Amino acid sequence: MNVHLRRTFYLFAAGFVALVGMLVYWQVYARESLANNPQNGLQTRRAIEAPRGLILAGDGKTVLARSEGRQTEEGTVYERIYPEGEVFSNVVGYWSVRYGASGIEIAQNSNLSGVTSDPATLDDLINQVRGGRQPGNNVELTLDPELQRIAYEELGQTVTGKGSAMAIDPRTGEILALVTHPSYEPNDIDDNFPDLIEDQDFPLLNRATQSLYPPGSTFKVITSSAALKAGVEPSDEFFDPGFLDTPGYRVFNYQGKDYGKLTFAKALAFSVNVIFAKIAIQEVGPELLYETAQDFGYGDPYDDFILPVTGSDLGYPPDQWVEGNTAQIAFGQDRVSSNVFEMGLVTATVANDGVMMEPRLVREVRSPDGIIIDRPAQSIRRRALDAGTANTLNEMMQGVITTGGLTQAEIPGVEVAGKTGTAETALEPHSWFISFAPADDPQIAVAVMVENGGEISAEGDAATPSIPIAQDLMEEYLKRGDG
Amino acid sequence: MTQRATTPMILALLITTLGFATMIFVQEAASPPLIYGAYYAGTLFTLYLGIRLWLPHSDVLLLPIVTLLTGLGLVMIFRLTYNIEGVESLATTQAIWILVGSGAMFLVVLLFRNYSRLFNYKYLLVIAAFALILMPFTPLGYEVNGAQLWVDLGPVNFQPSEFARIALTIFFAGYLAEKRDVMAATSRSFMGIQFPPIKYFGPVALVWAGSLGLLIFEKDLGSSLLFFAVPLLMLYVATGRIAYVILGGLLFAFGSLLTFLLFDHVQVRVEAWLDPWEDPDGTGFQILQSIFNIADGGLTGTGLGAGFSQTIPEVQTDFIFSTIASELGLVGATTVILAFLIFTYRGTKIALLAGDDASKLLAFGLTAMFAMQTLVIIGGVTKAIPLTGITLPFVSYGGSSVVGNFILTGLLLVISERSGRREAEELIPAEDHP
Repeated sequence: MNVHLRRTFYLFAAGFVALVGMLVYWQVYARESLANNPQNGLQTRRAIEAPRGLILAGDGKTVLARSEGRQTEEGTVYERIYPEGEVFSNVVGYWSVRYGASGIEIAQNSNLSGVTSDPATLDDLINQVRGGRQPGNNVELTLDPELQRIAYEELGQTVTGKGSAMAIDPRTGEILALVTHPSYEPNDIDDNFPDLIEDQDFPLLNRATQSLYPPGSTFKVITSSAALKAGVEPSDEFFDPGFLDTPGYRVFNYQGKDYGKLTFAKALAFSVNVIFAKIAIQEVGPELLYETAQDFGYGDPYDDFILPVTGSDLGYPPDQWVEGNTAQIAFGQDRVSSNVFEMGLVTATVANDGVMMEPRLVREVRSPDGIIIDRPAQSIRRRALDAGTANTLNEMMQGVITTGGLTQAEIPGVEVAGKTGTAETALEPHSWFISFAPADDPQIAVAVMVENGGEISAEGDAATPSIPIAQDLMEEYLKRGDG
Repeated sequence: MTQRATTPMILALLITTLGFATMIFVQEAASPPLIYGAYYAGTLFTLYLGIRLWLPHSDVLLLPIVTLLTGLGLVMIFRLTYNIEGVESLATTQAIWILVGSGAMFLVVLLFRNYSRLFNYKYLLVIAAFALILMPFTPLGYEVNGAQLWVDLGPVNFQPSEFARIALTIFFAGYLAEKRDVMAATSRSFMGIQFPPIKYFGPVALVWAGSLGLLIFEKDLGSSLLFFAVPLLMLYVATGRIAYVILGGLLFAFGSLLTFLLFDHVQVRVEAWLDPWEDPDGTGFQILQSIFNIADGGLTGTGLGAGFSQTIPEVQTDFIFSTIASELGLVGATTVILAFLIFTYRGTKIALLAGDDASKLLAFGLTAMFAMQTLVIIGGVTKAIPLTGITLPFVSYGGSSVVGNFILTGLLLVISERSGRREAEELIPAEDHP
């Protein structure tokens, strides 16, 4: 009888082991997918029952998002408050029980909500064992609140009120401002969301990272890089008869000017389309131009960036380009598409001796009691140019301001490097400006774009609304001293 | 060779106290949990000392495990109900039931030290068991959640099947011990399976089928499963013939199919198990809430009091294990499963060491009942098998269940006392006269 007793015991023991196996399946293997199941209301309950962490600006003081408790019959319920409102909402995002979440709110959710993460500090562990509602961790961004406010305000004052801007520290990759206008008020998201989706100005769209526009002449920075790599010297002279004929397409200069004989450096300073088309066709060729654009990040989807990015693009592969395509791509038209995120990285890369730093928005994550949980290190994303070429291009871009006479972009006592762009569209052209300063020791790189904001006037292409915005951002940042 | 297990006992009490202390911190509840804790610790420790004194040779680990499981259950019940209007006194009621259970266990120990007498009344016990099973059909009975298995006795309501199954286990143990030799012998065979003489098999089959049929009729699926499996396993152990298990398996398949086809509530249960997503807000709601909460616990749990298992209907009875898994995590839930396994192991050991067949079968039957019940309900709430409404022994809220399981433990203790004393008597002379 004892043999059979033992056998049945083994049967029971096997059953108990199977139960543990079942628990492992639910609690380890299937945990993530069940937590994200739309039928699972636990996360939402947790979200309103526990205070989420703060989202702070780069000064460590300006609160961009906080949770505020409210007493209800079922206990304390937390609501999300965004003190800075629409100025930061394209980055910070919203947090709605009804409409989900966006921006940093969702990208950093595991840090902000605290409860879903495993305990990181002893206090966390004690708190978790005690079962207390664990407040989330605080996320500090790299954004400079003053720059963000200036850019938002000035973009709002432009003719169309639509545009975007990015400011970045070229040495570290920390993003100082990432602005889109118009934006939305994140505090009333539950009430406004249906209207916001319908709004024809697309306030929910982050124009800085998700929209694509022709970059126009700002793309000449990339074409210039390719030309320098192909052996063209800034002092090399070219002749501009005012137009260039390619099979099926005739290139004109902006506002129909003709410049005659001038150097490559001056061709950039005066943004001479004809000469850039000529150089692209005769000296660079599609392959090198395409490759150089890729080195600068065209074609990169930036999947690893914290916010969703629509990758910039040249439209089609170089083996399909005919001369007419190459000519137009050289000055950022045809099907070239980009945004201030990409063009900001392009100008920052030139500023940083040809090295593109990893763009970052999160400076550090701290537990509620101040212990650092995560501090992303700065790193190199890619090397686009060798230092010599980058320095030559830097000087040429300084020439755009000095030789080109862009007085609006000047900052007293500081050398500025930059490039304008007036990108043709079916409507009014987009006004672009990319720049960095101080040119000899760049601390800030800026890209600004005003949608359909370019003015076609007889005074020349300097009168673009994006220049004073960029200038204000650089001046504000530099007058405070280093960073 | 008197053994003591004061350390496990104190550990079990300390764990429970820690649980109550946590409740004070988290829920900012003032004194009530502490009072429960002290009262509970006093009851169980007194019981432990009483048993050690009265049954010095009995198994030492059963009571600490019972203490741990009832204590954990009490903490969880308090945590789940203290702030819910209408059920806020459930923990107090459970504490009273634990006191009643302790008293019942003490009575068992006191009256049935010579438990062999019970086997003489085995037919009387069958009658008593049937009377208990039939009680819900009398005017005293009433229905809860579609199952007709409750009886209202003025001040108390109870589930008679919880007690009927102990009586039936005693019957099966007594009867099978008497007839096991003749039942193991073959008289005829049918389709390759050899059958015992119908004369001996008859009473077993009759009691087995009768109790099963009635319970299915009462829609008590969980108890039906136990009433089916436990006698079958006892039959297997008594005769050592795998043919009974095969036959039982076939019967089980046939019976399951029949009940599935005949009863709507069985179909609903099976469908909710196979595809709860089909009706996530209706029939699948309970099991989905259970696995959402279990998954929410992860490795270390949300922490005591921080989970959301109050979203599960009937959480304090059938689904209390989901709360444990949610708030104490995989680590805590595995520990609890381990505690159940140790109880099963000690029960099996008592059966192995018992001196006579009837004691062996009784100890085994009671242990099998306990183990099967645990497997069926934890398997149910983790969606390993279809859900059948049944309590988790000692942990779930429920007076009949708590008292029944205390009686079960009391019987295991008296069985272990006899073999322990015999062993001690054999050893002592040997030591005195080398």
